[in-house]
Amino acid sequence: MIQKKVCMVGVYGTGKTSLVQRFVHSLFSAKYHSTVGVKIDRKSVKVGDTDVNLLLWDIEGRTSDQEIPASYLKGAHAVFYVADGTRRETFEQLFSLQELARSAAGQVPSIVAFNKYDLKDQWLVQQADAAKLINAGFRMMTTSAKTGEGVEEAFRALATATLSSATTQTVQPPARHGN
Amino acid sequence: MVRVDASGLSHPGKVRSVNEDHFAIMTLQKAVQLRATNLNDTTLLERLRKPEVYILVVADGVGGGTGGKIASGVAVRSVVEYLAEAVGCVRDFDAESENAFLDQLSHAVERGHARLKEMFQTQGGPATTLTMMTLVWPRAYVVHVGDSRGYFLRRGTLKQLTRDQTMGNYLVDIGAVTEQHAQKAGLYNVLSSAVGGDLVPNIGVVDLADGDAVLLCTDGLTKHVSDGRIAEILASRSAEAAAHALIDAALDGGGSDNVTVVVAKAD
Repeated sequence: MIQKKVCMVGVYGTGKTSLVQRFVHSLFSAKYHSTVGVKIDRKSVKVGDTDVNLLLWDIEGRTSDQEIPASYLKGAHAVFYVADGTRRETFEQLFSLQELARSAAGQVPSIVAFNKYDLKDQWLVQQADAAKLINAGFRMMTTSAKTGEGVEEAFRALATATLSSATTQTVQPPARHGN
Repeated sequence: MVRVDASGLSHPGKVRSVNEDHFAIMTLQKAVQLRATNLNDTTLLERLRKPEVYILVVADGVGGGTGGKIASGVAVRSVVEYLAEAVGCVRDFDAESENAFLDQLSHAVERGHARLKEMFQTQGGPATTLTMMTLVWPRAYVVHVGDSRGYFLRRGTLKQLTRDQTMGNYLVDIGAVTEQHAQKAGLYNVLSSAVGGDLVPNIGVVDLADGDAVLLCTDGLTKHVSDGRIAEILASRSAEAAAHALIDAALDGGGSDNVTVVVAKAD
């Protein structure tokens, strides 16, 4: 079976672990536990006729005094960036995280999930922000680890992209969740 | 090259007559000795030399009579045997080999689980926790089942690498019960995952740095010794002295359970 390393990258508290929990175990916990180092989960998905085993590297979130170690990103086949739609600074840090990920893993397929879509009435990310991300080469989806909305689609889109390109590619999300 | 100083100890505690804990510390290295050559290529030895691999493991058996002791012993032996073979097959720890190695870590625990299931074919037979660290400097791979723990200390700050797999944590996480209810009902003392029981291994990675210390321990330590005290002991002593001091602290705190620690420090 084909194995693909997917790194979950973002600021602390954006919901990286919750997205993995939802995707792998169909569970959601409202209780916050910060990740120390990396937590690794697996899930197999079928892309067309191909079984792909996703190795999900849930990397501890960036904090004000702690950068994500580039060594964790080495050898990644894809990067799953996570921002919290209710915290604007998590969007602003995507650009430097992208720089870090590209220097460590190269231009591998990627996607940005704006998570916590269940709190969309508290959304602080605006249309102009989305345009900035598109200009920077990001593709975006909205997700809610709490309700499950968009989660399966985001991981599947990324798995598909890892198969369809060995070099530079960003993910075209399904229209329903696209921007 | 970084030198890793490792030491382990186990004690039955002050109350129990049988020690159901086990631990192991192993070092694996593919040795290549160049006996003679007239080659000019001085990098040859460097290329042939493979990284030294440390395997640290603790296990806390659960079960009536001597069942728990047997379970933790079987689990430790099984994973150590399996990894000794598997690590020998890993040519190098590049990204692709690492993905395969992560599979091997899961297989190692599954082997221990299968052996226990073969030995005790009844439902509810003895089981064990298992916390294992495979260290290929500077990367530490942690496999964790149950409520034994893994920690690392960096610049005086102690961080827990594992999360206890108990029914209390599980049911609180999914919102089925409150923390108070879980505490009152004793759910934090019931394992939600165990080798020989319902096995759900967690796998993690952390990159260590010079001066870091790591600790694997059974719950006989953490029942009686605070994180602050653990950090103090790890910070101020050699691995062997720290192991002794941690056991002493657990006994001074009550010693109500078997207690096992494995300490490793990187110089």
